[in-house]
Amino acid sequence: MLLSPGQRILRAVAAWAVVMLFAFPIYYWVTVSIKLDREIFSIPPKVFSFETSAKSYEEVFGISLGFEQGLSVLPGGGDFYMTPRLWDSIVIAVCSTALAIVIATLAAYALSRMRFRGQHHFVFWILSTRMMPPVAVAIPMFFIYRDFGLLDTYHGVILIHALMNMPLAVLLLKSFFDDIPKEIDEAALIDGASRFLVFRKLVLPMAMGGIAATAVLCFIFSWTEFLFVLTLTQTGLKTVPVVSSTFVTSTGTAWGNMAALGTAAILPAFIFILLVQKNLVRGLTLGSVKQ
Amino acid sequence: MTRSLIRAPRFMIADHPLPWLLPLIVILVVFALYPFFYNIFLSFHEFAPRKRELVPVGFDNWVQLFGDPRMWNAFSVTLLYTGICLVIQVVLGMAIALLIDSDDPGFGFLRGVLTLTLVIPPAITGMMFLLMQDAQFGIITWTLQSLGLLTQATPILATPSLALWGVIVADVWQWTPFMVLIFVAGLRSLPRDPFESAMIDGASSWQVFRRLTLPMMGKVIAIAVLIRGIDLFRMFDYVFVMTSGGPGTSTYTLSLYAWEQTFSFIKWGYGATLSLFALFVILIAANLFVAVFKVRW
Repeated sequence: MLLSPGQRILRAVAAWAVVMLFAFPIYYWVTVSIKLDREIFSIPPKVFSFETSAKSYEEVFGISLGFEQGLSVLPGGGDFYMTPRLWDSIVIAVCSTALAIVIATLAAYALSRMRFRGQHHFVFWILSTRMMPPVAVAIPMFFIYRDFGLLDTYHGVILIHALMNMPLAVLLLKSFFDDIPKEIDEAALIDGASRFLVFRKLVLPMAMGGIAATAVLCFIFSWTEFLFVLTLTQTGLKTVPVVSSTFVTSTGTAWGNMAALGTAAILPAFIFILLVQKNLVRGLTLGSVKQ
Repeated sequence: MTRSLIRAPRFMIADHPLPWLLPLIVILVVFALYPFFYNIFLSFHEFAPRKRELVPVGFDNWVQLFGDPRMWNAFSVTLLYTGICLVIQVVLGMAIALLIDSDDPGFGFLRGVLTLTLVIPPAITGMMFLLMQDAQFGIITWTLQSLGLLTQATPILATPSLALWGVIVADVWQWTPFMVLIFVAGLRSLPRDPFESAMIDGASSWQVFRRLTLPMMGKVIAIAVLIRGIDLFRMFDYVFVMTSGGPGTSTYTLSLYAWEQTFSFIKWGYGATLSLFALFVILIAANLFVAVFKVRW
C-alpha cells in the first residue's frame, strides 16, 4: 500500500516503539545480571543508570574477573557455580540434535520420495506425538526410566529430547526434500544408481541448508526444554532452565546470579536464531508455511 | 570408482521405505507408544503407601477424576488461559504484523529483534516476569502503581484475581512474536493483483483487510492457532516457576495439577489419569480443528 512520507515516518516510529517494548524485558534482565545487589532492589527500579558489578558472573562461572577487590571465587566453591550445568545443557542439546537429525533425515527422505499404503496415517501419527502434553510422557517415562536405571543419566535425557524434536525434524526436513525436484532422483535411478547412493551423493548435499536450519531449531528446543529434565533428573545433571529456577535461597532469590546464568544461556540461542532467520517461520509451523 | 567406495548396506538397496523409516518407528514406539500404554496401565493402578507398591484399583481413578472439583478448576483455568492468550496473541500479532511488514530501511532489523523472545527458555521468561512483577521492586508493579492502576495492597502474582493475568503477560510477551513472524510470512506470500485492483476501485484500508487480507490469510492463521493452541493447553513452565499454581488454585493448569499429584503427593495412578485426560482433550480438540478448518501438512 502506498503511504505518504509523513505516514511512513509515523509507521516507523510506531514499529520501533512496539519492538523496543518487546526488547525491554531482555535488556532489563541483562542489566540485573551486572547490577550491584542493592541496585536490583531499589525502588523505583533503575533502568539506565546503576552501579555495576561482575560479582554475579564471577560466582556463576567460578572465575575472577578482577573487578572486585578481595573477592576470591574458587572453581566449584560457591553455591552458584554453574559451569558444569552449562556443560550438561550443551552435551544434551548437541547429542539429542545429532540423533534426531540422523533418524529424521532418513525418514523424511522416504516420506518425500516414496509412496506407501497408510502414508497419510503415518504422517499423522508423527504429528500427533507433537500434540502430546509433555506431562503425559514425563509421568510414565519417570517410572520406565526408574526401572531401567536411566534416571539421572545423559542418554536418558538425550533420547527423550530426540523424541520430542522428532515431529519437527521429520516434517520440516520432508518439506525441504519436497523442494528438491524428484526428476533428479529418477534420472539417477534409471542410470542404475541405488537409492542410498542417490540419497548420499545427490539429495543430501542439496538439502544441507535445510538440514542445518532444522538442526539449529532442534538444538534450541532441547536447550530451552524444562519439564522432562525437571522430572527425569535428580542430582547428577541438570540443564540451565531447570537449575536457574532453583536459585531461591533462605535469604531470598539470588536474582543477580539467576540473571547472569540466564543471560549466558540465552546469548548462544540468540546467535543461533539469527542464523536461521530465513527458515524460521517454516520451522515454527513444522514446514507448512513457507517464507 | 565412486560406487565401490560408498557401498550401501544391502537392505537399503531395495527400494522399500521400511529401512528408511525403521529407526523413526523404533524411537516412536519405544518413547511415545510404550509410555502411552504404560500411562493407561498406571491410570488403573494406584500407589499403596503401606504395601509400597502399585495395586490395581479398576476405574477408581477415572471416577475420581470426573468428580474432582480441583480437576474441573484446573481444566477451566487451562481453557481460560488458552482462550485469552490465543485471542490476544492473534489480534496483537496481526496488528504488529501489518505494522511491521514493510521494506523500508530498518524493518528487517526490527523483525530480527522480535525473533529473540522465541528462543528464551520459558522457565527463564517466567523468572524475568517474576522479578518484574515483584510486589516491592518489580518494574511492572512500580509502573502500574505510578499510573494509579494498581494499589500497594494487590501484589500481582499473589492476588487470586490477578495472578493468571500475570502469567498471561509473560506468555503474550514471549509468543506474540511467534504470531507476528508467521503472519508476516503469510502477508508476503499473498498475490499482488487483487490488492492493486482493490486500490484502483477505491476500497478503504479496512475493506481491503476485511475482504481480501483476512480470507486469504485463513490457512496461515489456522496453522498458527493450532500450533499455539496445543502449546498453550499443555503449558507448565510459567506457572511452575511463577506461581506454583497459587494463590490458592487460581493458576493451577491441568499439566501442573497432574505433575504435582504424581510427584508431590505420590498419587502415581491419579496423576497419570490426569495427564491422560489432558492428552485426550488435546487430541480430540486438535483433530476437530484440523477437520473443521481443513489444515493440511
